[in-house]
Amino acid sequence: MDFDLTEEHRLVRDSVRQCVEAEIKPKAIETDRNHMIDPKIVQTISELGFLGSYFPDKYSGAELDFLSYIIVVEEISKACASTGVLVSAHTSLGCAPIYMFGTEEQKMKFLPPMLKGEKIGSFLLTEAEAGSDVANMMTTYREDGDYYVLDGSKIFITNGGYRGTGIVFASKDRSLKHKGLSAFILDLETEGVVITGNEEKLGIRGSYTTAFGLDEVRIPKENLLGEEGDGFKIAMETLNGGRIGIAGQALGIAEGAFERSVAYAKERKQFGKPLAALQAIQFKLADMAMKIEAAKLITYKAAWMKDQGQANSLQSAMAKTMASEAATWVTKEAIQVHGGYGYITEFEVERMFRDAKITEIYEGTNEVQRVVISKMVLQ
Amino acid sequence: MNILVTVKNVVDVELNIQVKNGAIVQDGLQYVMNAWDENAVEATVVLKEDQGASTELVCIGDGTATVAIRKAFAMGIEGGLLIEDEAIKNVDSASYAKILQKVYEQGDYDLVITGKQSQDTDSGQTGILLAEFLGLPCVSNVVTIEAIDDKNLKVTRQADGNKEVIALQLPAVITVNDSINEPRLPALRGIMQAKKKKIKNLDLSDLGLSADDMAASKTKVLEYQAPQSRGAGQKFEGDAAEITSQVVNLLATEAKVF
Repeated sequence: MDFDLTEEHRLVRDSVRQCVEAEIKPKAIETDRNHMIDPKIVQTISELGFLGSYFPDKYSGAELDFLSYIIVVEEISKACASTGVLVSAHTSLGCAPIYMFGTEEQKMKFLPPMLKGEKIGSFLLTEAEAGSDVANMMTTYREDGDYYVLDGSKIFITNGGYRGTGIVFASKDRSLKHKGLSAFILDLETEGVVITGNEEKLGIRGSYTTAFGLDEVRIPKENLLGEEGDGFKIAMETLNGGRIGIAGQALGIAEGAFERSVAYAKERKQFGKPLAALQAIQFKLADMAMKIEAAKLITYKAAWMKDQGQANSLQSAMAKTMASEAATWVTKEAIQVHGGYGYITEFEVERMFRDAKITEIYEGTNEVQRVVISKMVLQ
Repeated sequence: MNILVTVKNVVDVELNIQVKNGAIVQDGLQYVMNAWDENAVEATVVLKEDQGASTELVCIGDGTATVAIRKAFAMGIEGGLLIEDEAIKNVDSASYAKILQKVYEQGDYDLVITGKQSQDTDSGQTGILLAEFLGLPCVSNVVTIEAIDDKNLKVTRQADGNKEVIALQLPAVITVNDSINEPRLPALRGIMQAKKKKIKNLDLSDLGLSADDMAASKTKVLEYQAPQSRGAGQKFEGDAAEITSQVVNLLATEAKVF
């Protein structure tokens, strides 16, 4: 067994860290306040290849491994979870399904602009009445010559506001339930794709969460992903891979809050000594450190298993659940360590607390993860 | 134009370094590329991009140096030599320069670019001694490099309060100031390409040197001393006028700054 990062992983981590320190961290409060990531940040992370980490060179990816991608998301999320989820949703939900299920022509056509950051990826699955219950989808499609024509609406679409490349799901025949679903590659600037709202949220406020109306949207037949009826399988397998990305994001949020708590505990003096000298605070820091270490090990292990080509659904679900629950717990305690200052925006842990919550919800709620985990352990 | 750039692997000084019994505690140390060498690498890569220069790095170090070398590769350097030998321990700048002299003589280089100093020892001698040993012109503390043609450069060096613009005929040695550029961050694609680039390992005998050459090091570090830890600050209370008078008084009588 070897728990050390390779040279390559250390270089990735150091490069992302330097970029985060210089460009992302100083703007994290502003990103949250303005509900927008500075386009310059998107440009920088595109140029550094953070949007194409593990995909092959021939599609303009950096051809690193999946663990490198997780390190990118983790390091960014330590400072700004909104930018972390931009990378994670783009990579896991936008690019990965094309890479996993696309034809060579589709990959050559759609991946290069996405991996270069010219088209930000998104995943149009969720609907008002179809969240965890995907098969209850109301968006439908029909054939018309060389086109599929989609009608319906989608909500909660991360990265939707960039109007890049989306993977959209629709049903041919609602009576077929999940067997009727198909997946399509959709340019979100296509006529009939209408933004009907951008949600105001508790956290990850710099990330777009867009609602779309799909009104007679014509998609060329060559943009069908996989075969007709493959939609449910594509959605589930994509979300399975995405879980490790969310685990990486949650892990980063927890680590960011922990680092600030340690620094604050050493610096802040009460009763004539630093907080760090008080056992009540020491124990909080010890508990935070344990939860983070456990979350990190399972997250890295799930990524490593994926890199080895091993089945990892169980570990991915565990990683997502453990890391997200570590993140909500650690950020809550981080506010407590900071006392009143923790409640103040400038100290950033209040934002991290708000940002952490979503990681227990999206890309499969933790309840769905527990269904996955319990099914597998009871097999 | 063939450029040799030097890369030193140094202890990460941003981390807390412990000194015990006159020696640096090695346990838990982390290493990074010397900051000035990052500037040297950047300047070299710019000459590669603008002039089509070929680039090679040389690093004198041990196995821990490969991360620094790969980082330079990821920034765009094409090849690298790692000089590793048990006899290269606790040697001075002149010994480093002697090794670099042999590297230069075995290769076919037009220009050597080094950082003007390293952040661990702050000696600032190696590049200049190297030029001396090779009998080459040397410009130190360089802040701009402009290639006139394959054999001539126009460089600017930072002097005390002013700058000197210098015509430099190659072959030559340049040591660079950290204000010469902003070293690029390695892009992920560069990190992937760095994996494929080869590090050539050499020892002293490959360079026609022996342990005796290193033993002839003219200076030796006897011990390391940790910096004095800073004492607690002093808190003043009262209104502004009172505090000002107390502070000025202490600055005059205790700190003796006036």
